[in-house]
Amino acid sequence: MSFSITINGQLHKTDVDGNMPLLWFLRDTLELTGTKYGCGIGLCGSCTVHVDGKAVRSCKTTVSKADGKAVTTIEGLSKDGSHPLQIAWLSNNVSQCGYCQPGQIMSAADFLVQNPDPSTEEIDAAMQGNICRCGTYKRIRLAIADAAEQMKGA
Amino acid sequence: MSTMQKDLNAITRRNFLKASGLSAGGLIIGVSFPMGLLGSVDSAGFEPNAFVYIDKNGDTTIYCGRCEMGQGISTALPAAVADELEADWSRVNVLQGDADKKYGPQATGGSRSINIMLEPMRKAGAAGKEMLVAAAAQIWNIPAEKCYAKLHHVYNRVDDRSLPYGDLVAIASDLPVPDEPVLKTSDQFRYIGKPLQRHDQDEMVVGACVYGADKKLPGMKYAAIRHVPVLGGSVKSVDKIEALAMPGVVDVVEIPRFNKPYGSLGGVAVVADNTWNAEQALKRLKIEFEAGENGSYDTQEYKKQLVKNVEAPAKNEFEKGSLETAFKDATIRHKATYVGGHLSHSPMEPMASLVWVQDDKCEIWASTQDPEGIQRTIGAYLEREPEDITVHVMMAGGAFGRKFKCDYVQEAAACSKAVGAPVQMTWSRKEDTRTGYYHSCSAQHIEASVDAKGKVTGWLHRAAFPPIASTFNPEVVQPSASDLDAVSKHPYGIENMRVESGMAKAHTRIGWYRAVYAIFYGFSFNVFTDELAHKAGVDSLQFFRNIYDNNQDPDQQEQVKRSRAVLDKAAEMAGWGKKLPANHGMGIAVHHSFESYVAMVVHAEVDGDSIIVHRVDSAVDCGLVLNPDIATAQMEGAVIMGVGLTLNTEVRFKNGAVVNSNFHNYPVLRISETPAEINVSFIGQDYRPTGLGEPGVPTLAPALVNAVFAASGKRYRSLPIKPA
Repeated sequence: MSFSITINGQLHKTDVDGNMPLLWFLRDTLELTGTKYGCGIGLCGSCTVHVDGKAVRSCKTTVSKADGKAVTTIEGLSKDGSHPLQIAWLSNNVSQCGYCQPGQIMSAADFLVQNPDPSTEEIDAAMQGNICRCGTYKRIRLAIADAAEQMKGA
Repeated sequence: MSTMQKDLNAITRRNFLKASGLSAGGLIIGVSFPMGLLGSVDSAGFEPNAFVYIDKNGDTTIYCGRCEMGQGISTALPAAVADELEADWSRVNVLQGDADKKYGPQATGGSRSINIMLEPMRKAGAAGKEMLVAAAAQIWNIPAEKCYAKLHHVYNRVDDRSLPYGDLVAIASDLPVPDEPVLKTSDQFRYIGKPLQRHDQDEMVVGACVYGADKKLPGMKYAAIRHVPVLGGSVKSVDKIEALAMPGVVDVVEIPRFNKPYGSLGGVAVVADNTWNAEQALKRLKIEFEAGENGSYDTQEYKKQLVKNVEAPAKNEFEKGSLETAFKDATIRHKATYVGGHLSHSPMEPMASLVWVQDDKCEIWASTQDPEGIQRTIGAYLEREPEDITVHVMMAGGAFGRKFKCDYVQEAAACSKAVGAPVQMTWSRKEDTRTGYYHSCSAQHIEASVDAKGKVTGWLHRAAFPPIASTFNPEVVQPSASDLDAVSKHPYGIENMRVESGMAKAHTRIGWYRAVYAIFYGFSFNVFTDELAHKAGVDSLQFFRNIYDNNQDPDQQEQVKRSRAVLDKAAEMAGWGKKLPANHGMGIAVHHSFESYVAMVVHAEVDGDSIIVHRVDSAVDCGLVLNPDIATAQMEGAVIMGVGLTLNTEVRFKNGAVVNSNFHNYPVLRISETPAEINVSFIGQDYRPTGLGEPGVPTLAPALVNAVFAASGKRYRSLPIKPA
């Protein structure tokens, strides 16, 4: 059985085991390592990618489920790091170790499409599934609010 | 001061770092650090020393020998070099140094990087600048005093001509390296003390930062491992047949316990063509484990025993004055016992490295805090010289003390050796949670007396916790006198004091966890002081102030002054004493650790079973702050970790093995529990720089517990408050 998945605009055909989580297909097969392993059971959000525009945990999404769909990873969120969230992450100096931040940004990107003008409580609710052990949450809140502001103006 | 700190201080006072003795825990290794003597020349540029490389175009590379794990050291230290070098930061490229003695001590822990490396790094920059100035003076045939350096150029004071650094490197490389270059005064700083953006943030937000788990090599394989669950246990039998038949599987590798301090606990690994196949095959292994002597370890029972051990007389390790007299003459007597559980570091990137063992070399890419430890451990494992092990220090996806221990690297080396290919091993979250080097669980009992004037006159402190030294020497079964230094030398300076060590034989590997013993010492001192204040009917802040003001020990006056200053600052920031709504309360705590001083005020609300942390105000004196934004981020992170360990996290053992497995039952803090306000203020900038990565952690738990008491009248003496 072979699968066709469009990843960051590029079509990939593969015959890997359809039960393989998208996370490992991205990381080990395609060597797109911006998507991170953190827990393997959908508890931490480090592996968040978009499938047809919706944020999903790639550790819980199999290759067969992604068949025929369009996947966006952190590497494809913008061409040159110019997504308002990426800019806001820099202007707020959010990252410490940075390991969870691709997942945080991918979760936030989908969230802001659904809710362009979120309150702090709504940001918290949306980002509750993304863990940062360095404890950058204060700055994540600020960066998402900044990006929302930026996107409204655009 | 611990032996380790003494060793390090001795090192930093010399230009030439030499081998220093092995201290408890074996952290310090001999290094030769020929500061000021290196002047190696190549055709393209010159290296004033190990840290700085300027090419003939002026492009400048500054190497950071300390390990980066998110604390920003690879920006803060190179920026200090650039400052002294008068380099244009936009022309500077920062590179992480591989394991190499030329960088000086690289083991990155104990909040010491800036403390011990700032001066040599600044000298590195200043030496380079003086050589470039001397080169320009030679070209213009004028004295060096008539020249000055500014932003990648040397200027001629006589006629305002200038030469860019790139044009000077050829001549500068032939000049002697100054032994004692002149450092800038603080008013001359260009980058030090400024919120310079970290050099590595850009790549992090686009997913381009390469961690130990991300490094790729042609022909590499991927490994997954299951460990022996109990310390000292072993694999009794393993049936590999099904696993070997699984798709993509290359080999099943049995890894015996490697009884070096940082070696594997023992286990069985599967090597496959990708991580998924390795994990799937791992599930098909039929492994029977032998539990061994620690097979009955049960933390709930163990903590009860620790409490018994501190509520009865224990081994006297320190005594001054007469506790008996103080207690006899007391107006108020109080006693309490405090308990804490094991903690797991749980960095978001689990233990990960890529290792390629070949006949003539061994190359390693690892997320690590201790590249020299990897060289020693893998050298011992492969029976090769440590310097024959090449270690590329990768960005660590969080570490918090855990990545000081390289058991995971040794396991990847065992796999690479077995299959003859580069092997990347990434531990599953379950293995990461269950096979750690945990923060000690602990019990502390304090009895104290207060006299008629409200002065604390006597202090009995008994502590029992499995010490870190037990990981290296199982015969260590209780805290040593130096483990208790933070109590016996506490800046309260109580005149009558006895400090006792209770039995606490370790049944798991104990390691350094961000702030280490300061976590439970900061907790017991500050909560007990708050309890005394309430008993005495004195405002907590005032009671804390009084204790410090009563300390007349001439050797502790600087500590008193600095502790008092952060205490007052935090209280001022928080508006201590202001009226709060019902069920809200403020708590305060102050602690001296890693040579720095932190005070925190926590404002919390108690609503039934739920505890809401609204605001944290932190005042910090860690001396000169190199980068206030990075320093603030460290404190914000410490607050988050502190709230988590106060409310939620504990590693529990049953039948010798860890019960927790992932973030559902080791619930590190999430965004919704993050205080609405976290304010950080730095004072004491005229002191020399001291630790900051860790000292933010110890004050949060006691300040929060004190706030909960103020809000609800409920006193928590055992952490976490709400175990999962």
